[in-house]
Amino acid sequence: MTGVAGIDVGGTFTDLFFSKDGITVDRVLKVPSTPDDPSRGLINALETAEISPDALDVILHGTTIATNAVIERRGATAALITTKGFRDILELGRRDRQQMYGMTGVQQPLIPRRMRWEIDERLDFRGNVVRPLDVEGLTALGRALSGEGVETVVISFLHSYANATHEEQARDILKAVNADWEVVISSEVVREYYEFERTSTSVVQGYLQPLIARYARNLSGRLHEKGFDRQTLVMQSNGGLVPLKQLPPRAANIVRSGPAAGVMAAAQIAGAAGFTHVITGDMGGTSYDVAVVVNGLPRIAETTELDFRIPLRLPMIDVHTIGAGGGSIASLDRSGILQVGPQSAGAVPGPICFGRGGTKPTVTDANAVLGRINADRPIGLSHIERLDIEGARAAMAELGRPLGLSVEDTAEAILTVVNHVMARRTRLMTVEQGHDPRSFALVVFGGAGPLHGAAIMREVGIRTMLLPEHPGVLCALGCAAADLRYDLSRTVETPIRDMSIEVIRGILAEQRESGVAQLKSSGVTLTNIQVLHSANMSYLGQIHTMRVEIEEGWDVDRIIEAFEEHYQQEYGNRLTGIPVSLVGLATSAVGVRAKPSREPDAVSEPFRATPRGSRPVYFGGWVDTAIYDRRTLSPGAFFVGPAIIEQGDTTSVIEPGMRARVDGFGNVLVEVA
Amino acid sequence: MDPVTLAVVRGALEQIGDEMDLHLIRAAMSPIISETNDCAHGLFHPETGETIAQGGYGLPLFLANMQFTIQALLPRIEAAGGFRPGDIWITNDPYLSGTHLNDVVLVSPHYVDGKLFALFANTGHWMDMGGSAPGGWVPTAQEIHQEGIVIPPMRLYEDGRRNEGIVGMITANVRMPQQLLGDLAAMTNVFAVGRRGLDDLVARYGADVLKDCISEMMRRSEEEMRSYIGDIPDGAYRIVDGFDNDGVVDSPLDVRLSVVVKGTDLHFDFTGTDGPAIGPMNISANTTKSMCFVALKHIFPDVPVNGGAFRPMHFTIPVGSILAAQYPVAVGGTTDVTQRVVDVVFGALSQAIPAKTPAAPFGTTGVSTVAGVHPETGKYYVAVYPYPGGYGATSVSDGLVNGTPPGSMAKFMSVELSEHRFPLTFDYYAIRERSAGPGQNAGGCGSAYGIEVSSKSLVSVLGDRVDRAPFGIQGGGSAAPNSVAFRTGGRDWVPPMRSKAEKVAFAPGDRFDLGSPGGGGFGDPLDRDVSQVEADLNDGLIDLETAKTVYGAVVAQTRHILDRPVYTLDAERTRMTRGALRLEQKAM
Repeated sequence: MTGVAGIDVGGTFTDLFFSKDGITVDRVLKVPSTPDDPSRGLINALETAEISPDALDVILHGTTIATNAVIERRGATAALITTKGFRDILELGRRDRQQMYGMTGVQQPLIPRRMRWEIDERLDFRGNVVRPLDVEGLTALGRALSGEGVETVVISFLHSYANATHEEQARDILKAVNADWEVVISSEVVREYYEFERTSTSVVQGYLQPLIARYARNLSGRLHEKGFDRQTLVMQSNGGLVPLKQLPPRAANIVRSGPAAGVMAAAQIAGAAGFTHVITGDMGGTSYDVAVVVNGLPRIAETTELDFRIPLRLPMIDVHTIGAGGGSIASLDRSGILQVGPQSAGAVPGPICFGRGGTKPTVTDANAVLGRINADRPIGLSHIERLDIEGARAAMAELGRPLGLSVEDTAEAILTVVNHVMARRTRLMTVEQGHDPRSFALVVFGGAGPLHGAAIMREVGIRTMLLPEHPGVLCALGCAAADLRYDLSRTVETPIRDMSIEVIRGILAEQRESGVAQLKSSGVTLTNIQVLHSANMSYLGQIHTMRVEIEEGWDVDRIIEAFEEHYQQEYGNRLTGIPVSLVGLATSAVGVRAKPSREPDAVSEPFRATPRGSRPVYFGGWVDTAIYDRRTLSPGAFFVGPAIIEQGDTTSVIEPGMRARVDGFGNVLVEVA
Repeated sequence: MDPVTLAVVRGALEQIGDEMDLHLIRAAMSPIISETNDCAHGLFHPETGETIAQGGYGLPLFLANMQFTIQALLPRIEAAGGFRPGDIWITNDPYLSGTHLNDVVLVSPHYVDGKLFALFANTGHWMDMGGSAPGGWVPTAQEIHQEGIVIPPMRLYEDGRRNEGIVGMITANVRMPQQLLGDLAAMTNVFAVGRRGLDDLVARYGADVLKDCISEMMRRSEEEMRSYIGDIPDGAYRIVDGFDNDGVVDSPLDVRLSVVVKGTDLHFDFTGTDGPAIGPMNISANTTKSMCFVALKHIFPDVPVNGGAFRPMHFTIPVGSILAAQYPVAVGGTTDVTQRVVDVVFGALSQAIPAKTPAAPFGTTGVSTVAGVHPETGKYYVAVYPYPGGYGATSVSDGLVNGTPPGSMAKFMSVELSEHRFPLTFDYYAIRERSAGPGQNAGGCGSAYGIEVSSKSLVSVLGDRVDRAPFGIQGGGSAAPNSVAFRTGGRDWVPPMRSKAEKVAFAPGDRFDLGSPGGGGFGDPLDRDVSQVEADLNDGLIDLETAKTVYGAVVAQTRHILDRPVYTLDAERTRMTRGALRLEQKAM
């Protein structure tokens, strides 16, 4: 019983991958998602794949349920209680607007003003009590709210990160008034300053908690009915897993579960293939998600905006999304210049060639018209036998007429424009972090990624592109590669020279113990526990902080040196003479799961791969292009572009002038010849 | 012109600006650049000075300003012998470059095969340029020299070598020379990023194709801008608005604008505008022009940012008025003056295209500052709180609360961080109830906060919009005006200039309370959806009296959660009451 199932529940599809020994990929499939109760789609996937419960040791799973609940405002009815004078913190944000230009648009706070309440209490920034908690007032408020249909109460007091006593006291009082409530206190969700960000994060947690608790209950119930009582682990936004039973109090941690899983898988696959610096590009129907992996580690963002004025201050893999996907619509702007996206035809009506009523030319239509997608093998579509190429061509003709372009040239122009948009974002993602994108490898995945990866690589100047074995279900695979992870943080905000090293070590030890305790209570078999500490620091007076890895045994001088070294690396100089401030301390406790590691297959002498056949594909002109079947590409095989690789979950394009070879893991590595 | 090349080149040119922006934001020493993006980068036409492309991360304020600055510099550079390879020109002369002394502009020519191909330029906000107060903000300044040193346009680099004499002259006259040197180096280094990007493009497409693309791009942008203007009905749209006072003399200053739309041309005529102000409430003509474009871009967010888009715009700005400052008037109040330019453009165009134009936003971009010596560290500190406020409603939505000014993207500091850093306590930070302009779509409420100091300090406030509130449009009402109140030594008082006060001495326990304006409303309040009126009432944004008299609401039922009333409105009786109110209004 060593079987592993990775399942990624997306908005449209639920992807599954199954391995009977944790090494080989024995089944890959896509089934429609069931948004009303996502646990049903997951069970369907397991049943469709005909995997018996006893064949499974662990189910690993990613989900968009949390993100969708926030975006569609389908979370709990919640109340917020704050320090007197601050109930509007949640709505005010920090003085901004939705977009740089344009003054329209409304804001929908997760908790409306009429359900935000204030209680007299006040701490100063050191956590000293300035005014005691108004216990009577709080009890009265609790009683008054009891009849109001509230499911969750979120408590967020000023400076609670410095002293959580008032919040804890308030939670106990409310629980005593109404034991049915989920009560969330901000100091437990994120022990850091910045009242808006902390409050917002706690509200997201409270807003999701009842929903995620229901989901976890339903899922374990259904799995139990099917006879599966082993481990179920869920992917968090930080790239680490959490057991299903520990999920509800960590609901806010899974909002970017799917994308995080994809990046983890890409990083892991690239790492095994020998690439430590990686750009990952996930292109689906509506968006292109790009992330950067340096030294094998995905970059972590400390704060992520879920929606306008809904920041989440939890460590999350830094994934940047732009509106460029297979469904992106091509049009002419007011000045007659061709543009693609960000409007998308979505799943319905979808691209014209899918025959679901779409009338506007999309990126997928361009790929179809140019012969890059096989018209006779529509992927993921069961309602048609063949793509509607004629319909797509007619739309291209209409779009191209004012430009003086032929049907093919219009389609190619659409690809050129969308590829440039993606290439530009890919470049910026590295440039803004101070990296040279040319020293990175590109891993592309998602249903549409491998169609466009070659062009992105060419435009950005990347030397190698890696096409994983199953690009269409990589997120499902990513879960299987991941470990358990718990992040802890705490604001200190003191000039570091004013602190004793014992205090710093004390906080780190406390975080380590708490993280390790959570790992131990997870019930998951771990081969190893890794504890990583870091410090957020800045020069005194700066607003931006820098995260630096530190070790528990270091003294203050060593910590300062690490910061200044890092600062110099990033900005080219040190601000000698300006004191260094220790803003916060953070700890990640990683529980490494027992995973059989896959050994690469022996790679024989390079040999020329045999195509399954050929068809005309347009690359600036119709070229008879070799078509390869991914299943027949074995280690050592090589071929040159132009070429198309077909497989069940996606299609890959190798451009003219590029060379591809298959490595010992079955990855296709593409280089500019 | 190959349409694909054109589309790709346009994107690539914008990317050059974006990458330059990001480089400087990362490398700058000045926190105001690295934290509020107070900078801009672009490529400009070497002969006309028109913007070819500009980065998308810099402040809106600089949107068109860079082009006008370069156009003002070109004849001066010509007179000094023209551009030569290896040159970098520098200036902060606010009468030429617009804005204020802290915004330093560098211009560097770019050559392809020995021929001048384009100009790179950037602007960055340097923290201190000398003058009578750190940071260059002097509310009572009456001439430029009190605000800092003026760097006239000159060659900072000649033949690739920096003129250390000029650098020494500058650093000797500012408060933070080390930081300034860092920013100067960062800004000059950024040009290398731009050059690399442009050289790549030249290598790929050739200089001639690139030039053709650029002129075609500008021609198309002009066409695009003209198509937007063409949608505005012809006519002259007039508005008068203005300032409470200039902070030195307590008399109002009018801003008069007539926007004349004729076919596809747009003329901004500020004839009749007062000025100059004795105090620092003046801006240069270039800044006025740029803010007109910022306002247009808020109305039509998709208009491209390049010289072609500016071509259909024409200006009459009376020389010497507060909107076309001449030496030696002070210009430090630029933050508030720019704001009013946006307001009047909105106000004028709302008469022509109400469906697209917002009502007036809060309209004061000023700051409150608390400064002193921190009792625990013994070090000097300045806490700066820029005004947040409500946005005006539009035809499609209510106005936002706690917005940042239209020309800025800067944020408000976290309360907890503030209390860590400065000896002060926030008593509250809240939505300012009853401050929104009523309307079918209501304006955003203003914001309110109260600060109590815990040690001796000096408090300054620079705001406006006390005497003239942000206006509504299409029958929408105006918002609550600005409100500043002090309590020192147990006495409550309002500063003589209402929302302008400089260096008021505070003792421990003294406090000030600030309520920023909301945004104006859009459309007749009697047309507001009844359920929205009910929500506003229950959210405490409006009071019962307003609901009844302004919105014609009739309450069916009232209950309470603790002391908070929860109303249910009677839709039918509200409809009838509104009918009666309409008749009454007609009769009046």
